[in-house]
Amino acid sequence: MKMDEELSVESDVENTWCPGCGNFGILNAVKKAVERLESEGFHRSHLLISAGIGCHGKIFDYLNLSGLYSLHGRETATIQGMKFANPSLKVIAFGGDGNAYGEGLAHLIFAARRNSDITLIVHNNGNYALTTGQKSPTSIKGFKGPSTPDGSVEEPIDPLDVLLSSGAGFISRGYPGKMAHLTELIVEAVKHQGFSLVDVLQPCVTFNDTYEKYNELVEVLEEPAETRKEAVELLEKEESIPIGILYKEKMPVFNEKIYPEKNPMEDRMDEKERFEAVKKILEERR
Amino acid sequence: MKDEDVFTYLIGGKAGEGVKKAGTAATRFFLDLGRESFQMNDYQSLIRGGHNFSVVSTSTREVYSHHMEVDLIVNLDERSRDLHEEHLAKEGIMFYNSNDSGERDQGLGLPLDEMAEEYSKPDLIKGVAGIAVLAACTGMDKKGLEDMIKKEYSRGVEENLSFAKEVYKKVGENIDETFDLKKGKTHSTVITGNESLSLGAAAGGLDIYIGYPMTPASSILHFFATHRDDLNIMSIHPENEIAVANMAVGATVPGARVMVGSSGGGLALMEEAISLAGMTESPILFVLGSRPGPSTGVPTYTEQGDLHFALNQGHGEFPLIVSSPGCIEEAFHLSNMMLDLVWKYQTPGILLTEKHLCESSMSVDIDMKKFEEGVFKTEKADEDQDDYKRYEKTDHGISPLKYPPSDDLIKWNSYEHDEMGYTTEDPDMISEMHDKRREKNETLILDLKNINCVNEFGESTPIIFTYGSTTMSVREALISGDIDAKIVQPLFLNPFPFWELEEYIHEEVIVVEQSSTGQFASLLREKCRVKPKEVIRRYDGRPFEPARLAEKIEEAII
Repeated sequence: MKMDEELSVESDVENTWCPGCGNFGILNAVKKAVERLESEGFHRSHLLISAGIGCHGKIFDYLNLSGLYSLHGRETATIQGMKFANPSLKVIAFGGDGNAYGEGLAHLIFAARRNSDITLIVHNNGNYALTTGQKSPTSIKGFKGPSTPDGSVEEPIDPLDVLLSSGAGFISRGYPGKMAHLTELIVEAVKHQGFSLVDVLQPCVTFNDTYEKYNELVEVLEEPAETRKEAVELLEKEESIPIGILYKEKMPVFNEKIYPEKNPMEDRMDEKERFEAVKKILEERR
Repeated sequence: MKDEDVFTYLIGGKAGEGVKKAGTAATRFFLDLGRESFQMNDYQSLIRGGHNFSVVSTSTREVYSHHMEVDLIVNLDERSRDLHEEHLAKEGIMFYNSNDSGERDQGLGLPLDEMAEEYSKPDLIKGVAGIAVLAACTGMDKKGLEDMIKKEYSRGVEENLSFAKEVYKKVGENIDETFDLKKGKTHSTVITGNESLSLGAAAGGLDIYIGYPMTPASSILHFFATHRDDLNIMSIHPENEIAVANMAVGATVPGARVMVGSSGGGLALMEEAISLAGMTESPILFVLGSRPGPSTGVPTYTEQGDLHFALNQGHGEFPLIVSSPGCIEEAFHLSNMMLDLVWKYQTPGILLTEKHLCESSMSVDIDMKKFEEGVFKTEKADEDQDDYKRYEKTDHGISPLKYPPSDDLIKWNSYEHDEMGYTTEDPDMISEMHDKRREKNETLILDLKNINCVNEFGESTPIIFTYGSTTMSVREALISGDIDAKIVQPLFLNPFPFWELEEYIHEEVIVVEQSSTGQFASLLREKCRVKPKEVIRRYDGRPFEPARLAEKIEEAII
């Protein structure tokens, strides 16, 4: 089947998100972002996506884009494999907060420090919704869910802080209630050469409805912080939740550092060259 | 009983004294004489101290295992001397370090510490003594020794030459006779099992190797990292084995041929992704280099305790190809073929091997011509096909592949999916996709029926079943023990090649394996109804020694 003009495939696949779910906003922002990138000359044939498992992951089925629907928490590893194999492709991984910041957190830290040229969009709804609303790594202390009926006793982690100190070169946060702004963030994140994070404050209407709170507290940043330290200070604000690009720094990307000027898919040896290379090593063992 | 056709050399000492390096230099010395050889390195999980030894058996015939009746022993420390005294053959010569062992009745003392003290790296240089002793005891002239040191110990060559000559002179003064090593006629190459399987995969068009260090698979990662530019193969060492396996799954989407490797503990972490690869139909070759388990076990030793683990990898039902090479040369052929097989069938495969094969080296003669025309071809979709479906149903279960960048929608899915790759919970589609994956397995069996899946050596009775690196031990035991028997070695363990084994149904056979519970024997009972009358097992982490194994086989025959 050819990729058609319509980026979503809702005619073929039934959408099973709850009515009013923040995921609809993310889906729309992604579609708009891809259209914007295409208006600038990029083509979706060169875009691959991956997703973890959870409500967020359903976006894989709803987008008319190629890729691999991965495992819970492994979307960041999967998407890096795609990028390593063919660095001329653009890649976006979708994760939930349970996937990206819980099960697969190590992959994020390492993707940031090796500066893999990937974009990670995290649908951060502060709970495990698809498994009926348990606490997640970003749930507030005291969060009541089926696994913590008396309230979570754990402090929430701040993944943006974790990734800033892991050396990430693009840290941003968006909100589906500010659609044009979120679209812009995704466009910038995909264009950024290197690891980029878009943490999306996603209200979960069923288990963690945060619309009111976010509508009141989110504040659009005018420009990114100059230093990592200042970016961390932005995160520590209590009176508001800053959204936008918190920090941006261009650094050499992993593929170029580890396999300079080569694309494993485009710069293959032919069979004859391969055999000669193998023979040469065998000769050295004589 | 000692095999007179075989000459065995052993060097032992502390880690950091260049023991393995000396073993390798000795192996290359034998190679220069046109002789075949087998080198086994016994080392502990530590960096300095402890006890390491390297043993090399050589002959003018093919040698499939090291022997432990040693003709020439060089002990760099007292512990080595005490441990290896019992391995000295009747007419053998043993040297020891008189500075730390004191003067002994048996063997010839060399003041190695004193002599080494004069040099800038007194520990490391001791290994050079092993080669100087070998040269002196095999009648090599001074020029020959110089050439060898220059070739094998080029770093700090002046000091190495000076030390080697001192040792050579002292040894010459103390021995009456030298060993006469006949020249052979071969022009083989010496490689380790890990090098062999890596080169086989490289010849098969490997694009990317991903690994996380774990003995005995780490040296595969090192090999590809060292030869990145020679072979045009990207190698990656990520944060953990879970990343390794999931990156591999991702890398196959744009069409990269990927191999990953680890030992049992690492593969256990990869297992979820093996199941994922079964569902997404991702072609990935996993190398499982076994060591004694369970758990951390004994990291630097050998065992075949992971057979059932390999055969049962991954939750759910999907085709899994498992094969195991029976010698170092076969590791090249098999990794090469396995790469083609996993791509043809778009499913994970495991190359099961053991530390004994991974890290031992052997002279091999690899004929690259054999690999020019691969047997198993990857099915690719027509470029102009306009209704591409990633999981298209076909009469053989295999869906043609297409790689991005492409205008076609190519969706791979870990959920059960329809032909397009969209998630499904539809009961008919669930069954159809199960059928599709099962059909791939049926087609695979038909394909395997056209190739050789079982090796047989010898023609008479009794029949000895074995597999993996233990095949080398059994072959050597039969040759050097002069025993008439037939070895049957299944190369493929899943699908199990029962069609090649029909003649053995209900036969009484001997089984040799390195497992305490006899996993291979139970597999044989289940899959081809043979009756193991004797299961010869070894599970102390050490490979079989040919002479001891020959005795056990003879006992089993009676």
